Amino acid sequence: MEVLNSNFYGGKPTQLHFSPYEDNGGTVVAIAGKDFAIIGSDTRLSTGYSIESRNQTKLFQLSSKTVLGCTGCWCDALSLAHLMQARMQMYLHDHNKEMSSLAVGQMLSTVLYNRRFFPYYVSNILAGLDADGKGILHSYDPVGHCEKTYYVAGGSAGAFLQPLLDNQIGMKNQQNVERRPVSMERALNLVKDSFIAAAERDFYTGDGVHINIITKDGIREDRMVLRKD
Amino acid sequence: MFLTRSEYDRGVNTFSPEGRLFQVEYAIEAIKLGSTAIGICTSEGVVLAVEKRITSPLMEPTTIEKIVEVEKHIACPVSGLMADSRTMVDRARLECQNHWFVYDEKMSVESVAQSVSNLAIRFGDSDEDGSAMSRPFGVAILFAGIDEKGPQLFHMDPSGTFVQFDAKAIGSGSEGAQQSLQEVYHKSMTLKEAINQVLTILKQVMEEKLNSFNVEVVTVTPEKKFHMFTKEEVEEALAQVVPLVKDDPLPSSSGSATKVK
Repeated sequence: MEVLNSNFYGGKPTQLHFSPYEDNGGTVVAIAGKDFAIIGSDTRLSTGYSIESRNQTKLFQLSSKTVLGCTGCWCDALSLAHLMQARMQMYLHDHNKEMSSLAVGQMLSTVLYNRRFFPYYVSNILAGLDADGKGILHSYDPVGHCEKTYYVAGGSAGAFLQPLLDNQIGMKNQQNVERRPVSMERALNLVKDSFIAAAERDFYTGDGVHINIITKDGIREDRMVLRKD
Repeated sequence: MFLTRSEYDRGVNTFSPEGRLFQVEYAIEAIKLGSTAIGICTSEGVVLAVEKRITSPLMEPTTIEKIVEVEKHIACPVSGLMADSRTMVDRARLECQNHWFVYDEKMSVESVAQSVSNLAIRFGDSDEDGSAMSRPFGVAILFAGIDEKGPQLFHMDPSGTFVQFDAKAIGSGSEGAQQSLQEVYHKSMTLKEAINQVLTILKQVMEEKLNSFNVEVVTVTPEKKFHMFTKEEVEEALAQVVPLVKDDPLPSSSGSATKVK
């Protein structure tokens, strides 16, 4: 207290700011179908107007059928993803089985809520397959609210892309349209088109797209380049 | 016998020169004083039956609870010091609920057994998980339930060791009952057959006469999960047991009991 009130601060009361968070941008889009789940992220990491990396995927494979997409504060994303990987390894040792996507979904929610008053500053989307091999997505807010869904966009261009997906997959507010389950080809094309659209308008999204296609046979990767400006 | 052991049978954290922990062995002896409990695991579900010792006619038999529900899909019959068993069952229930809270799924029977085992070996010195217990639990416990692997039956003794069984008996009549189980058990046993067998064997090893007051019967099946037999269901099951007992002269009450069929 002596130091704070001395001449070092001119003798005046001074407010010190604690800013532990950074927004490193990035977008994640995911679509689930009856026997697959597709999740993609862009590969740009930025801080304000600076680009930190043009080639950093935001997807973390957690198990043979679960992938986590994590954007926001990159250090929090890394920390959270590693914690999830460690927790899943512990589960494997404790219970002698791989965690189901639904169990990972619930665990992520409790892990996030445990940090209710100093949250991980991240937007999470979890893609996986349920016990019947059906695609399932979970999307989260930073303190662990969890929604099970079949298409979702998150991250810096999430607000741009969600209405696009609502229109193209959810068929929201459309009359006399055929509502049928989305095929894998269409889902993959939609994910790619979404990123092309986002890169056009959101400068935190760009450089490239990294896509994971999850089916009962395993996880396949796909990549695509985006505009780099 | 006790004179030679006296040097090493006081503490739970000292091995004898032969490498034995006498207190743990005594605890295993203690459960042989408990009431008999029998479990059979079939492909259709698990059947459990436990004798209740009604030591006084003034006793209220329904307050003796020897088979407890840990979760909807897991039942635990216990034998030995009932007060100790409460601590273990509490832990099992806690772990089940915690597993559901964190993972939104049912805990497997083996994992529940593992978590209770972790508690059972916390005698001796205290560690970072908390203070130690002064002695091992004087309890033998069965974990019977349904999980993704199907019907399962595990047995745990006071040392915390747990092993999976097709059929297992614990308590005072366990030696004879285990022998009988070995003779009658086969893989294709139906649930109904198993109910008959547990009651037949329990009847053979019990000192008291088996009736609907001094036995507790539970089934755990994929359809009904934990199901404790009502007095009427026990009577119905007992009525079908009588013809199975070959060398037992028919008790006088059996005439009316068989009429139920």
